[in-house]
Amino acid sequence: MRVLAVLAHPTADSFNHALAAAAVSALRSSGHHVDMLDLYALDYNAVMSPAERVAYDTNTPILDPMVRKHAELVKASDVLLFIYPTWWSGLPAILKGWLERTLVPGVAFVFEDGRVKRGLTHTRRIIGISTYASSHAAVALVNDNGRRVLLRALRLCTGVRTRATWIGCYRLAGMSPADRAAFLRKVERRMASL
Amino acid sequence: MKVLLVYANPNAASLGAAVRARAEVALERSGKELRVIDLYADGFDPRVSDTERRSHHAPAAVRPAIDGYADHLRWCDTLVLVYPTWWSAQPAILKGWFDRVFTSGIAYDLPTGGQRRPTPLFRNIRRLVVVTTHGSPKRINMVEGEAGKRIVFRSIRSMCSRRTRCHWIALYNVDRARPQQLESFLDRVERRLGRLR
Repeated sequence: MRVLAVLAHPTADSFNHALAAAAVSALRSSGHHVDMLDLYALDYNAVMSPAERVAYDTNTPILDPMVRKHAELVKASDVLLFIYPTWWSGLPAILKGWLERTLVPGVAFVFEDGRVKRGLTHTRRIIGISTYASSHAAVALVNDNGRRVLLRALRLCTGVRTRATWIGCYRLAGMSPADRAAFLRKVERRMASL
Repeated sequence: MKVLLVYANPNAASLGAAVRARAEVALERSGKELRVIDLYADGFDPRVSDTERRSHHAPAAVRPAIDGYADHLRWCDTLVLVYPTWWSAQPAILKGWFDRVFTSGIAYDLPTGGQRRPTPLFRNIRRLVVVTTHGSPKRINMVEGEAGKRIVFRSIRSMCSRRTRCHWIALYNVDRARPQQLESFLDRVERRLGRLR
């Protein structure tokens, strides 16, 4: 399968980067093709510009060549994989902005006669890997809003049979090096068994 | 009342711009002190930087832009957020404003050691108001789970006064709304903001 991995953490030696590396290498050794977008390394601009907002309502909503390339990757991929830290129970702004600028009409959905038609019916699976400062219970209490955006709002643009996989890493600060290593192995196992 | 209005909308000709104008009129006419932050006009970069992330657990170093926003947040008793809902949550520029400004030493203090919860520092804020527009109908937003609503009314609220009250002023299905519905939404915004106590 073709996998598009999107990573959204500012610090290159973060656990998120380790998670992404583990996931990507496990996917590749299982024979999958992986395209990796490290949004901070790309110096990705998170803000939809006024010109882009105007273009959104036209037939050519994408103005930026980098965004166009990402949209082509989304269209060509069978799996969308997101790796990010959960902040204020949601997506980091750089990833939220990536959704806003990439998944525009013609990519994630199309407006047809005033109706919204799904555009990601070719996407077979959405995978989220996220780190949390809080415990699972505390995350449940405020709602895992980043997860909701990806597994509900984005999921509505995919086919009815598109599957969803969530791998949450809770209480990150309290994890020992051994816990982290065990978690990386778990991610490798899950990715290898897709 | 001291109201801080944070506005996040790229389009000067949008319904959002009209909402902001109407909100300002309503707040000023009802005698509130008003400060406005326009994130697009400020050219705000919502990305938490590598340096910011690395100093995340230390008390915030001096960062002029962020400290200015923090001062406004400490001044107000009411926070009004005006934005369009995109992918069921705040536009990136506003989400990043939470990510960058609501940090350790500004929004909360992290207790040293143990598993204790952070101490909220925005106890001065006792009203959270969201004025937002959704392209999709309400039932779709229910299915999607209204992530943006919960980010503000649960996560952000946890750093405010324990008695903070929340007001949700939203228009759904904007993409198919008739001009009359838009007009009545603006009236609703004016009425509800004018009534704030």
